[in-house]
Amino acid sequence: MSSNTKKRPRKEQQFFDDPAIDRLMGTVMALATEVFVLRSRLIALESQLAKSDLVDITHLSKSPDAVQSSVTKAEAKAYSEALLKPLLGLQDTLGAD
Amino acid sequence: METQEFEAAQDFLLAAKNYWTTTMYRTIKATYAELESGLQKSPDRPAKAIKALQKNTTYRYFAWLERHLQKMKYTGRYGLIPFHSERRGELLKSIKAKANDKYVPELQPDLPLPNYYKNIDTHQHPGGLWTDELAGIVYEYGARSTTPLLGDSHNDLHARLADLVADGTTYERILDMGCGFGKSTMPFVQRFPKAKVEGIDLSAPCLKLGSKTARKARKKNVHFQQMNVENTNYDDESFDLVTSTMLLHEIPPKAIKNVFDETFRVLKPGGRMVHLDFHVIPDEFHRFLHYGHSARNNEPYMRTLAELDLKQILSKKGFKNIELKQFAESENTDLKADDAWRFPWTTISATKPAN
Repeated sequence: MSSNTKKRPRKEQQFFDDPAIDRLMGTVMALATEVFVLRSRLIALESQLAKSDLVDITHLSKSPDAVQSSVTKAEAKAYSEALLKPLLGLQDTLGAD
Repeated sequence: METQEFEAAQDFLLAAKNYWTTTMYRTIKATYAELESGLQKSPDRPAKAIKALQKNTTYRYFAWLERHLQKMKYTGRYGLIPFHSERRGELLKSIKAKANDKYVPELQPDLPLPNYYKNIDTHQHPGGLWTDELAGIVYEYGARSTTPLLGDSHNDLHARLADLVADGTTYERILDMGCGFGKSTMPFVQRFPKAKVEGIDLSAPCLKLGSKTARKARKKNVHFQQMNVENTNYDDESFDLVTSTMLLHEIPPKAIKNVFDETFRVLKPGGRMVHLDFHVIPDEFHRFLHYGHSARNNEPYMRTLAELDLKQILSKKGFKNIELKQFAESENTDLKADDAWRFPWTTISATKPAN
């Protein structure tokens, strides 16, 4: 490997006059992705339910038990991190000036 | 992350990219035309229209999405990097060579890597194609949406180049420079079963995946090696055909000139080179978008390649029959219709004079 490696922090690319809009767009798109993942999951779930009598759909409306609640909390943590990370303007890759 | 979640998120991002490629592109194009028509005719009219377009709100969203859809594809919550990292063990096992395996790439762990290769995460691929053993697998998945409209027929692009190069000619030895994980190499392997094909690249993770692909296809007429395309280990006059696909736009002008020198050196007299890359740009509007892509996708040498006088450079190097031709990347591509964003695909071909 060459020793002449030059690693530099890269400047955030800005497309709007106010950089807050750039970052807010990141949050909006992360949220949009999450909504689609949920929709896709829901479609798959409903499809399975339609084929089977194993799940009582009315049960889904009730308050979750402890196990399910724990899963939901972990999910909320990961979700909020993904949702808010774009506001930090962190760069994931090396780029040219 | 479950596979279903990953696939749903990637489907969404690809659908968004398709919308960007078609509807948003057409909106930007129409906006540019409107801005230009409102200006008095003069040589700098396109430049003035572009300046106005840069302030246009839709254009700004177009530019934002170009950078960030790619970023999300790689490092979003359901990105390629977290998904593949969670499956590291099983994925590395899948490309590990077996005992007495004939399909093993020849690697050079001490090969010096050029700074231009190490200092930029090309395509916004975190860590580039050399720092992580999974990079080849991640890149293979990511490359499926390089040209989103091609969809499942993305491989057609490479097969079309092999068909174009064939043109009734047969080759004994073929060198595919910057072969990556072999996507550009394998169509030559299949198209010319009697030829011995060499694929070279700097990326060890990609070469391992390329060898796996060759093993799966049971193709023994291909050999992958880790080499710098600027300075290979091959003897003079070793090949009838030297080719590359999407290599030149990833290296700086000096390296491009070295590649042409190296191509000339390893070609047999009368041999042919064909590089498929991005070069012939029809007008200032398309040039503006192409340079924008160059900046937004961490591909700075895309712009410098477009600005080179390739005919003059190749002529000075001694090449003959130099041709720069627009290339339709799929059967359905209509170069004149221009109804969707696309790369300015160009074949850069020439021959080494016969003795």
